[in-house]
Amino acid sequence: MGRAVNVGTSATFLLHFETFGPSAADYREAFGLFDRVGDNKVAYNQVADIMRALGQNPTNKEVNRLLGMPSADDMTAKRVEFEGFLPMLQTIINSPNKAGYDDYVEGLRVFDKEGNGTVMGAELRIVLSTLGEKMSADEIDALMAGQEDENGCVNYETFVKHIMSV
Amino acid sequence: MGCGVSKSNQFHKSSGKAIRSAILIQRWYRQYVARTEMRRRYTWHIFQSIEYSGEQAQIKLYNFLGYLMDNFTPASNERNLISHIFRENEVCRDAEWERYFCYKNIEVPEIYSGPHLTFPLTVEQAVGLVEAFRNKKQLHSRYVLQLLLETWKQLRMLPNINRISTCHSKEITICGDLHGQLDDLLLIFYKNDMPSLEKPYVFNGDFVDRGKDSIEILLILFSFLLVYPSEVHLNRGNHEDHIINLRYGFTKEVLTKYKMHGKRILKLLQKIFSWLPLATVIDQKVLVLHGGISDTTDLGVLARVDRHNYVSALRPPKKRHQSSASLSVDSDIDEDIWSPNKMFLRRKSLTFLKTVPRDSFQNRSLQDFSDRIQVNPADELCQRRPSVFNLGNAAPEKEMAASVSSESLSVIDEWKQILDLLWSDPMNQDGCVPNEVRGGGCYWGPDVTEDFLNRHNLQLLIRSHECKQEGYEFCHNRKVLTLFSASNYYDVGSNRGAYVKLGPDLVPYLFQYQASSMIRELTVRQSVGRTERSALKVLREQMFAHKTDLICAFKTFDSDNTGLVCLSDWASAVESVMHLDLPWRMLRYQLVPCKTNGGMIDYHEWFDELAIKGPNADHIDQSLLETLYRHRSTFETIFRIVDADNSGFITIEDFRQTWMLLSVYLKMEITDDTISDLVVTIDRNQDGSIDIDEFMEAFRLTDKKSRLERGRSMFMGTATDLTKLEGDPNI
Repeated sequence: MGRAVNVGTSATFLLHFETFGPSAADYREAFGLFDRVGDNKVAYNQVADIMRALGQNPTNKEVNRLLGMPSADDMTAKRVEFEGFLPMLQTIINSPNKAGYDDYVEGLRVFDKEGNGTVMGAELRIVLSTLGEKMSADEIDALMAGQEDENGCVNYETFVKHIMSV
Repeated sequence: MGCGVSKSNQFHKSSGKAIRSAILIQRWYRQYVARTEMRRRYTWHIFQSIEYSGEQAQIKLYNFLGYLMDNFTPASNERNLISHIFRENEVCRDAEWERYFCYKNIEVPEIYSGPHLTFPLTVEQAVGLVEAFRNKKQLHSRYVLQLLLETWKQLRMLPNINRISTCHSKEITICGDLHGQLDDLLLIFYKNDMPSLEKPYVFNGDFVDRGKDSIEILLILFSFLLVYPSEVHLNRGNHEDHIINLRYGFTKEVLTKYKMHGKRILKLLQKIFSWLPLATVIDQKVLVLHGGISDTTDLGVLARVDRHNYVSALRPPKKRHQSSASLSVDSDIDEDIWSPNKMFLRRKSLTFLKTVPRDSFQNRSLQDFSDRIQVNPADELCQRRPSVFNLGNAAPEKEMAASVSSESLSVIDEWKQILDLLWSDPMNQDGCVPNEVRGGGCYWGPDVTEDFLNRHNLQLLIRSHECKQEGYEFCHNRKVLTLFSASNYYDVGSNRGAYVKLGPDLVPYLFQYQASSMIRELTVRQSVGRTERSALKVLREQMFAHKTDLICAFKTFDSDNTGLVCLSDWASAVESVMHLDLPWRMLRYQLVPCKTNGGMIDYHEWFDELAIKGPNADHIDQSLLETLYRHRSTFETIFRIVDADNSGFITIEDFRQTWMLLSVYLKMEITDDTISDLVVTIDRNQDGSIDIDEFMEAFRLTDKKSRLERGRSMFMGTATDLTKLEGDPNI
C-alpha cells in the first residue's frame, strides 16, 4: 500500500478507497467516464488505463492475460461491459504485486553505479525505452521533466517522492 | 551514449533486476497518466454540463416569455415590459432604417486615437484594424456604424448557402467558434496569414459571446468580408442571435464599450446576424455549417428560405402581409402572427387536464395568473406551442394539419430546418432525437449522416458548436469533423483551438494552437490541476445555489435526522437535484472537503462554511437570497430585456413588474413587502432607478474560510477574470 501522501486531489480520492474499501459503484463511475461511445462498454485497449485510474498498477502483460491475449486488432475493436470488467479488476486488486516507496527506490538503485544516490538521466532514458514495457520518447520526456540536475543526474529518492505525490 | 550492445553487457549480471525495475517505473508512469486523464475527463464533463444547461435555461426562459406574450392582453403592463424583444422590426422601410442608423452626425473627437476608416474599405485599412485591436484600441462608434451598414448591404446580396471552390490550387482555411477570443484570431492570422485573394477563409459561426472582444472580432471579420467578398465567407452560429446575446455577454460588452450608440449598434447587428448565410459548400462535396443536421434537413429547403426573417433562431418569423409597406409597429400584429398557434391551443385545451382554462387568460393580468399557475410553464409550452422543445415531435402538429393553413406549417418546417442547422450535436448511436440538453436542435447519429451525405452527394460535413479538447474531433466514420477555434475556452489550459485547411484534394489538414504563453510553461499535471480547480469551484457554486433542494434531498435519505448520509445516498441525492450526470462519488472529496464520520457525510457542515452575501442582506430571507443567487443569470437576462432602451438602468416600477414575472416563472411566493425591502436596499441613491450591474454585483458567494470573495459565475466572466482568482490554495 502506498503511503497516503496528502497532496493533490486524486491522492485523497485513493485515500478514500484505502480507508473504506472501494465499492462497485465507485468503479462503475470511473468506467462510465471512459466510455466514449455510449454503449456502456469500453474498448479492450482502455481496460488497463481504467484500472490505473482506479489506483491499481497492473502491467500491460497482466491485463492482456486477463483479456485472453487479444490480438492488436482485438485491442481496438473489441469492447467489454462493466460486468466483464469488474472481475478482472478484482483479480488485479487481489494480486500481491503492490509496490511502495521502498520498492521504487530499490528498483532505481540498480542503476546507481556509483552508489551515491543518483542515477544518470541518460541511462534511465535508455533503460525505459528499451527494457520491460517500453516507453515512448514523449512519455519519457514527460516523466523526467525537471528531474535532472545540471550534470544530467537524477537523485532517485527525490524522484520517487515526486512521482508518488501526484 | 554507447551502443545498445555494450549497455546490455553492463546490465548482464543484474538484467533480471533491471528489467523488473524498468517495469516498475513504467507501470507507475502509466498509472499517473491514466489518473491525470480521468481528472481531465471529469473536469471537462463538469464545464460542459454547466455550459449546456445554461443554454437550455435561456431557451426555457425565452419560451416562457413567449408563452406570456401569447396569453396576456395587449394592454397589460407586464406584456409591454417584454413585448419589444418579440417585435423585431420597429421601423420597417429602408429609408427609415437609414435614418435610424445614420452615423453622419456622430462626431469623432480630436483626441480619438483609434483608426479612422474611409469607405470603400481597403486592405491596408482592414490590416490596420487588426493591428489597432492588437494594441487594444477601440473603433469609434461612427466607424462601427458605417462598417456595419456596409456589411449589411454586402450580406443581403449573398445566398443562404455559399458555394465556393478550391480551384487555382487555393487552399481554403476553415475556422470554428471564436467566442470573442481575439487572441485566438490573432494567433490564427499569425500562423496562417490574414485573408487575401490567395488565402480564402470560412468562419463557421459563434464569433461572439463569452469572450471579451466579440465586437472586435466581428469588425475584423466584416472588414475582410468587405475587402475580399469572394474570399471570405461567414456562416451564422447559434450565438449570432440577440436573445442568446442577452445572457452570454455580447449585449453587455457592446453597451459597455459604446455607451452612447450601443443600442443602435446592437439593433443593426440584429439585422446583420439575420442576414448571415447559413452554410457554405466547398467544391460541391464538403458542407460547412455551424451546428449540424437532423433527419429532416434538406439543403433545397434551406436554400430557398428567407433567412433574414429569422432574427432570432428561437422563434419562427413574422408572417409577411401582402404589402410590406403596410407593416406597422402596432403590437397587435403579433396576435395575428400567432393565430395558427391559437388554433393549436384551442384544440389542445379540450384535452388538457391543466388547471388554468384557456378562455380565462384573455382578460387576466399577470397578477391573477400567478395565483393559478400550478405547472411548470416550460412543460406547458412543450405541449402548447411550437417551441424549440417540441419540434422533435411532429405528431401533434400533423394532427392539426387539416385545420391550419399550409403556409403556417411550412413556416414551422423552415424554422425547424434552421434551428437544427444551428443547434444540433452529433451522437454515437444511430437515429435522431431532440437535443434536450441544450434545448434546441437534435442529436443525430451516423446513419443520419450517411443518408444525408448520400442524398446531397457530399463527402464530408464540417461543423463547430462543441468545444473539443484537441480543438477538433472526427466522428461518424470520419464523415463529420467538429472544429473549435477558441482555445482555453473553459479555463487556461483546458483545450487547444484548431483550424483546418482544404486543398483541391479535399483532404483536411488540421492545425492546432493554444493562445497563451503561460501554457507552454505548465506541465500537463499543472495544467490539468488548474482547470480542475476552476471546474470544481464552479461546481461548488452551483451546488451551493441549490442548497435548499439539496438539503431536502439529503433528508429523504436521513429519516432519523442524524445529519449524516452514506456516500451512495449522498451521490444519488446530489444527482437528483443537480441533473448534471457527473461522477459524484469521485468528486465528493473535492466538493465537500470535511472530515468523514465512519464513512458517513455530514451534509450540513459544508453549507455552513459558505454564505451568500447579499446587499445588506440581514433582513432578507435566506431562501430568497439563495433563489436570487441561483438564478442570477436569468435575472440579469430578464433585466436586460426589460431595459428596452439598453441604458443599464430600470425603473423601480419595472423592477417590481419584473419580480412578478420572475415569481411566476420560478414558482416563488413573493410578497409586495419583500419586493419593497429589496427595492429599498438596492436603490441606494433613491433616484427611482436601479443599476442592473450594481444589482448583480451585490449578490455574491463568500467563503468564510477564504479571504477571497468569489465574484459572479464564471460564465458571466471571462478566462482572464478566472486567472485573477487563481492562486489561492483554499479555493
